Amino acid sequence: MIEVNGKQVEWEEGITVEKLLKKMNYTFPKIVVRVDGKVIEKSDWEEHHIPDQSVVQAHHLIAGG
Amino acid sequence: MAKSIEDMRKSRRALASYDYDQAEVEKGYTGKTLYINISDNTIKSKNVTEQMKDIFIGGKGFGLWYLWNGVKPETRWNDPENEIVISSGPIGGITQYPGSGKSLVVTLSPLTNSVMDSNVGGFFGPYLKFSGWDALEIQGKAEKDIVIFIDGDKGKITIEEVDIDPTASHLVSEQLTELLAENEKDKKNISIVSSGSGGENTNIGILNFSFYDLRRKVARMKQAGRGGIGTVFRDKKIAALAVKFSNLSGRSNNPADPSKIAKTGVKITREINKFDDEQFRMRQIGTANLMTPMNDYDLLPVHNFKYGSHPDAAGLSSDTLRDRFTQNMPDGCWVGCALSCCKAVDNFELKTGPFKGEKVLVDGPEYENAAGLGANCGIFDANYVIEANFYCDTYGIDTISTGTIIAFAMECYENGIINKEITGGLELTFGNADAAMELIHQMGQGKGFGKIASQGVRRMKKIFAEEYDADPAFLQDIGMENKGLEYSQYQAKESLAQQGGYAMTNKGPQHDEAWLIFMDMVNNQLPTFEKKAEALHYFPMFRTWFGLQGLCKLPWNDIVPEGNAQTDSPEKIPEHVQNYVDIFNAVTGKKIDQDEMIRQSERVYNFQRIFNLRLGFGTREHDASPYRALGPVTEEEYESRSERYDKQLKEDLGIDPTEMSITDKIKEMRKYREGRYETLMDVVYERRGWTKNGIPKLEKIKELGIDFPEVVDVVKKNL
Ligand code: SF4
Repeated sequence: MIEVNGKQVEWEEGITVEKLLKKMNYTFPKIVVRVDGKVIEKSDWEEHHIPDQSVVQAHHLIAGG
Repeated sequence: MAKSIEDMRKSRRALASYDYDQAEVEKGYTGKTLYINISDNTIKSKNVTEQMKDIFIGGKGFGLWYLWNGVKPETRWNDPENEIVISSGPIGGITQYPGSGKSLVVTLSPLTNSVMDSNVGGFFGPYLKFSGWDALEIQGKAEKDIVIFIDGDKGKITIEEVDIDPTASHLVSEQLTELLAENEKDKKNISIVSSGSGGENTNIGILNFSFYDLRRKVARMKQAGRGGIGTVFRDKKIAALAVKFSNLSGRSNNPADPSKIAKTGVKITREINKFDDEQFRMRQIGTANLMTPMNDYDLLPVHNFKYGSHPDAAGLSSDTLRDRFTQNMPDGCWVGCALSCCKAVDNFELKTGPFKGEKVLVDGPEYENAAGLGANCGIFDANYVIEANFYCDTYGIDTISTGTIIAFAMECYENGIINKEITGGLELTFGNADAAMELIHQMGQGKGFGKIASQGVRRMKKIFAEEYDADPAFLQDIGMENKGLEYSQYQAKESLAQQGGYAMTNKGPQHDEAWLIFMDMVNNQLPTFEKKAEALHYFPMFRTWFGLQGLCKLPWNDIVPEGNAQTDSPEKIPEHVQNYVDIFNAVTGKKIDQDEMIRQSERVYNFQRIFNLRLGFGTREHDASPYRALGPVTEEEYESRSERYDKQLKEDLGIDPTEMSITDKIKEMRKYREGRYETLMDVVYERRGWTKNGIPKLEKIKELGIDFPEVVDVVKKNL
């Protein structure tokens, strides 16, 4: 299991930041991702593997109304 | 309508005039405000006191203070003593920092019977100030239609009768601009405020504030949209306000430290140039950039806020709308706004209504128009939204309320509460664009079923229950209004904090106090009641500040500076908050910090709450939410997201839904959600320094320094 934005999500072998965002349906273009507190740059999302038990924050920087 | 501008010129008849020496602007203030009583044609100047500047700052703060003094507890929106106050604010009118040209309008609303405020672009507020006036206060009622002219170049004010047809706002703006301008270039020195026939025929009349577009050669308009301010305007028989000021420069606001403002402005302008294309694309799409993400995250209101997305949403996607905007360069509603979110569709050929066949310019559509007039009514057709947008603006009716009203009428129609006999033949089913368009014409022109719809959702509920035997409880659940104001266009069901952001407000469910949906629902940054309450304290206070200064909210967080993600509270955009503190200090010469910034807002926010109280509102019962905003009302709504709701029953309530009937599931869910909303109210009130009934405590108002005897009196009477 990993924690994504405070919720428990099934961990999968080989899951990367990019795959996780897809799985969560997080399509918004401006998301700041932290894995165990460390910001992962967008350019690294495809490569960055998320270990089991990680705490992930995917903060959408959406301004809204 | 006058046959020509020449005829109009000849028809001008002054009822009163007033010559004045234009007060110099000093550190963002002229120190004078203009009072006009149109019952007896009094025109006079008032002095701005230091106390007003310290406590009420400007903009909405000045508006509330004047209105408080102008009305009595029993005053209603259409009494002559009701006022319309327009004021920008000390920062309003600078040209070096984006979003600094807003006007704030305050009045008693025909929808809520309480205080209403609206923040609007266009040139009127800054030109008013540079003509010598920190605020314009209009009281009384004229006998015949009048136009008020403020000539800031000559120092002359006149109240006049002019042969002008006030029913179509875009023509009023165009004709009066033409009348006052000496040549084409001079038109940019003029701004007109007008409403339209919707101001006469509905409770949702708006004020259009013009700004002249030299490239397109047309007077464009921005809207003070919420709460029926245009209805008050036309009830007072004001056809238009016009201001002319020709000497605008970067120094017009005469700030204490111009170089600090310039430096801060350059910094954010660089950010916008560098990041806007990859962030929110405000310059390309404007607020319509929200259409696609809202649908993707199940937050776009669909079918009277039943759902949050729709398979046909592509018809109104951000990119579909972008492709309809015919401008090819960024466009701002005030000078120097690098964020330039204004969009327009040129040469749009109208298919219906009094201007059928004409090619017109349509400002927008913005997110709220597309979401409210389109998605919420089940209409995913860009042409419809553009045409509806044009007519709402020129009739002078609020697009947000109109969308929510039509969506409510459609749900009532589909439930058999109203039928063709009642609607005069309109088949008001979701998705029926022709019927919706016809209803907009009826509302704008005061005809047919439009006469009922134009009264707003709260009165429609009463009429449907009393005259058509509808179940009042069901109408209460699905009628999306709070305090009498229609909801703006976001689906709040899965964000408790946003439910509070809508209904625990001063004027009603406009999202300008707090927009917390993503922070709460998606990012889960507000997992506890205390965190939600903290956000429902901080953001309404922070955002109130824009309305005190003459500022637009968008450049605060619709552009994000580099390194923001690494800050302690990225959602606050700390660097931009500091920019605002720096600019305020640079304009006024004062030395506030971020804490004092929040205190400035807190004073005005609490004063407004007490103003509501004085008028018979402003307590807990008025912060109640229709259940549609909190959770699923109907079976179809529950079933459409049954996986989500069943999971919540199991995980959040500890109830196994497997054997439960859908009625029981809805009942349990409702008990849970309504309970949470009540708890949130307790915690928010506590955080704001209010009693359990939502009344500011005496020690709170003392601490804020707004413990004037008449304020204390109101509070004491209600404790
Ligand atoms: S961001 Fe848009 S609405 Fe705000 S001031 Fe600039 S152009 Fe006007």
